Amino acid sequence: MQKMYRKQGRIILHVDCNSFFASCEIARDPSLKEKAVVVAGDPKERKGIVLAANYIAKRRFGIYTTMPLWEAKKKCPSLVVLKPDFSLYRETSSKVFQFLRRISPLLEPASIDEGYLDITECDSLGSPLEIAEYIQQGLLQTLHIPVSIGIAPNKFLAKMASEMKKPLGITVLRKRDVPNILWPLPVKEMHGVGDKTAKKLNTIGIFTIGELAKAEEERLQQLLGINGIRLKERANGIDDRPVDPEAGEKWKSIGNSTTLPYNVTEERILLDVLRELAQSVSERMKRKRVVSSTVQIMIRYSNFQTITRSKTWENPFQEAEEIFQYAAYLLKKHWNGNPVRLLGIAALDVFDKKAAMKQLDLFHYEEEAKREALWKTMEQLRQKFGEDIIRRGANLFQQD
Amino acid sequence: MKIAIDRESLAKSVQDVMKAVSPRTTIPILTGIKITATSQGVTLTGSDSDISIESFIPVEEEGKLLVEVKETGSVVLQARFFAEIVKKLPQQTVEIEVGPNFLTVIRSGKAEFNLNGLDPDEYPRLPQIEEENIFKIPTDLLKTIIRQTVFAVSTSETRPILTGVNWKFENGELTCTATDSHRLALRKAKIETENPQSHNVVIPGKSLNELSKILDDSNDPVDIVVTANQILFKTKHLLFFSRLLDGNYPETARLIPTDSKTDIIVNAKEFLQAIDRASLLAREGRNNVVKLTTLNDGIIEISSVSPEIGKVTEEIQSESVEGEELKISFSAKYMMDALKALDGTDIKISFTGAMRPFLLRPLHNDSMLQLILPVRTY
Repeated sequence: MQKMYRKQGRIILHVDCNSFFASCEIARDPSLKEKAVVVAGDPKERKGIVLAANYIAKRRFGIYTTMPLWEAKKKCPSLVVLKPDFSLYRETSSKVFQFLRRISPLLEPASIDEGYLDITECDSLGSPLEIAEYIQQGLLQTLHIPVSIGIAPNKFLAKMASEMKKPLGITVLRKRDVPNILWPLPVKEMHGVGDKTAKKLNTIGIFTIGELAKAEEERLQQLLGINGIRLKERANGIDDRPVDPEAGEKWKSIGNSTTLPYNVTEERILLDVLRELAQSVSERMKRKRVVSSTVQIMIRYSNFQTITRSKTWENPFQEAEEIFQYAAYLLKKHWNGNPVRLLGIAALDVFDKKAAMKQLDLFHYEEEAKREALWKTMEQLRQKFGEDIIRRGANLFQQD
Repeated sequence: MKIAIDRESLAKSVQDVMKAVSPRTTIPILTGIKITATSQGVTLTGSDSDISIESFIPVEEEGKLLVEVKETGSVVLQARFFAEIVKKLPQQTVEIEVGPNFLTVIRSGKAEFNLNGLDPDEYPRLPQIEEENIFKIPTDLLKTIIRQTVFAVSTSETRPILTGVNWKFENGELTCTATDSHRLALRKAKIETENPQSHNVVIPGKSLNELSKILDDSNDPVDIVVTANQILFKTKHLLFFSRLLDGNYPETARLIPTDSKTDIIVNAKEFLQAIDRASLLAREGRNNVVKLTTLNDGIIEISSVSPEIGKVTEEIQSESVEGEELKISFSAKYMMDALKALDGTDIKISFTGAMRPFLLRPLHNDSMLQLILPVRTY
């Protein structure tokens, strides 16, 4: 029986925290529970906007996220307005994810307040519905965070399902439900279709998800590039993206260290070692397409005393030469001259290269500006054919 | 030295010269304030060797007796204690009397403090500046010029010259430039002088900030005297000396674009508020970056994404958008600083491409401009 069950495909949960920021605040101060609560940017100022509202504020007073605060206050004079406390939200978020990981290690956090959980292999814990109920009750009782859960055979349908009933909903969306449940919805309701894409689709006569599901592939590709094809698949309930636990912030740091063949006291030799370490750290960063702004070096002396020293620079780096320069700077500053038996370099807090930015500099921007046309072309190609269509030649060798 | 002095005038003067006194100094006597009484009045001096401030209280002003000098002389008192004491004394008049070994008695009403003073001869002499070649500028204009430029100086010591504001006196015009290499602020002003000489100096940003704090909001002229390594600002009862920074300020004029590909005219206040909102989420993120996109019909979209937290978009109706369409990312902080400094109603923003510096100017005023370098996203 269990085998039969699994053959039908994957079982994916999408767990979505309801009014997350507001829920965190209420969890911390339960006296707010029966009140209308919003989290908003600087409540003292008129120009603040609502970042999150609890369901009392939403349902009873018609307050929504991004509403100007003064308007929200007009709708509900007794409104409780709280300043955002992002460290509380991050802490609560990691507790929610810890809880989910105990159900299945195949957890992919999608943002601070939602994640996908692959429970295909969890039949020993009960039916998917029982597992979802267990998660919902567990999070509510231990962390006081209400969640909505979608149960489906893939990530897209799970996400659509969790949206259907809020707060504290559990919705099952099977592939065979797609024509009845999803197709009548406006195309804008679809996950992955924003305002702009929806407007574009409207121009070729696509207004519902059903119309998208039946649209001509060629026209979609013309209109939206590779993304158009993907959206059509999703509209048909097809999505084979795996739940990837490493999709989010996977590598907190990337480092290499080496024990020296003998205890070294010559700076020149230490620098040579650092150069090699920088090279290998850089290669690994490029392979994972991440950058970092913080270099840490580790020095272990012959008496096993070990120190680590780090420094954060303004712009992110990835190149071996940069890493070497920063590491050498740290070594010269912090090495006390005693014999060294081990050296290490690590790039701390690495993050996706796509999220990286570089503040241009008045005296050197010309170098970047020269490449502007190239960047533009690359972006256009990516938009049309997908992320992997083009990469700089020098980076090609870094592929796995 | 023995004087009786009006407490309010004394407190104001002490507060002014305290701006130059640093609790951390390598020269111990500079933690004190020097007080000198002559038959004309009382002079207070504070200094951290970069900045020196001298404040003068005349015997009488506008028919009001401020000081009675019973015995001339001089003493140095610990600034921290002296300032607090003066603030809290009970009566309108304060008596200060210096006895042997600079033991100083401060009396007001029935309160009496005995402070150990220091030898005024050990106090460093202020630079002697010949008061020739004077430039004159109204106080309120000077304060505006400082406010509009000094925020853009560098706070990092990697290029020390950029921690100052470049002042060029040339052909009856003063041009002030500050840059931390990521943004640049420039302000020009006519200046009154009989001095045909041109000067090109760099004043530490910190000095200008302190100067701005002690100037009042009148339009009385401030006299400015420039020498090789000092600049002196002089008002009726105040002398403010600042050391100048050594080295050549980079030539920035050629870095300011003269042509443009996209010109936007917007209401500065609305634009500032939109940027402020968009940066709400970005502030938590790594770089506080917002993105500007031109849409059709003069609409500008301001957006920002912080992967962990969320995203925000807002559309603004501009007065006009001319030229090529544009997508550009920049630091919300630099943009807000620049907009606050311009304090115009309508401003024109001129872009020459997503990787090139762009300019902000008030629509009908070319005496000032703000330049910002964009952020490249990968």
